[in-house]
Amino acid sequence: MRFLLVLLPALMFTAQAQTPATSLKKVSDTKVAPASNAVASYKESGSPTAPLTMELYTDYECPACRAFTLEVMPSVIKDYVATGKLRLIHRDFRLPQHQFTKVATRYANAAGEIGKFDLVTHQIFLTQPDWSQNGNVDAAVAKVLAPADMEKVRALVKSDSHLDDTAVRDEAFGTNQDHLNQTPTIVIVAKGKREVIAGGMPYVILKQYLDQKLAQ
Amino acid sequence: MKRWLLIAGRLIIAGIFLYAGYEKVREPWLQFAISVESFKAVPDSWIQPIARILPWGEVALGLALLTSILTRWFALIATLLLTLFLGVGIRAYALGLIVDCGCFGVGNGGAIDVKWFAEHIAMLSLGLAVTIGEFLMARSPKENAGPGLDRETRLEVASSS
Repeated sequence: MRFLLVLLPALMFTAQAQTPATSLKKVSDTKVAPASNAVASYKESGSPTAPLTMELYTDYECPACRAFTLEVMPSVIKDYVATGKLRLIHRDFRLPQHQFTKVATRYANAAGEIGKFDLVTHQIFLTQPDWSQNGNVDAAVAKVLAPADMEKVRALVKSDSHLDDTAVRDEAFGTNQDHLNQTPTIVIVAKGKREVIAGGMPYVILKQYLDQKLAQ
Repeated sequence: MKRWLLIAGRLIIAGIFLYAGYEKVREPWLQFAISVESFKAVPDSWIQPIARILPWGEVALGLALLTSILTRWFALIATLLLTLFLGVGIRAYALGLIVDCGCFGVGNGGAIDVKWFAEHIAMLSLGLAVTIGEFLMARSPKENAGPGLDRETRLEVASSS
């Protein structure tokens, strides 16, 4: 019994405190937020002074990311981002098994460069079942952009190495520090602590979690 | 011999529950809530309480099984829990749900497949064997007079039977 009295508090303590030490093999973890992790500004929305930050890692060719982005994120944006409670940062996390995700990422980031990131990423996810068959992201994006904008995007996709290198490199930093291995993954940053949660989820559960974080 | 086998079986189950609970309590509760929700077996309002309480319950049960107190009852609770887990797994499989059971934390073999069933049937069989053994042992005091008890107690048990 005395053994129990000693072991239980020790277990509770290590459950809270040990995560950074064992995080190398785990996806979900709690760590101190990095000092800086640059991201292209078009990928940020919401108040910079919001009490919570959500980093959303997605792969454009991942069906679960499509479901999460189209079904869950609109409610998150309406209830938390638009009301100043949450700062949202989108991050690219391309999965190697997806053949066309690189080109989709380039189109999304090129659209971001001309101020059309949200519109184009929504369209890319919406049409994912089509272009993931043949890689024709261009046709999907062309349906929502004006011809002049489309030409700018095409030019950027063709020539701008920044779309792959700078943006994705910064995001790879986050990918490595959070030990991600699946998409979608969200990282909630609250009071300097990062909590990594892997996998899609319905809004009703995410809402409970965000409300609890805001109440702390 | 039987007594030592029972102790070994009980310690294995205790270890399983401790590990399963520990892996979950060190993650944000939302992570396990995602797994609970994926089974589509409980109302949404139950998900958060389950995700927050069950991991600590597993830790407590694991610790309780380590002790020699009320072992048959704790073994019974563990077996009922394992039956419940296997049951919801069978249901999810039958419904064709894509779930991550989250049994031992995220990413630790969460998919419901042949391996998952084999593991859970093995754990349930062990739990059942330990529970039956503990109840049988409790009904026959002579068997209790094993090497785990001191000489006086063994004599006392032997004389009372």
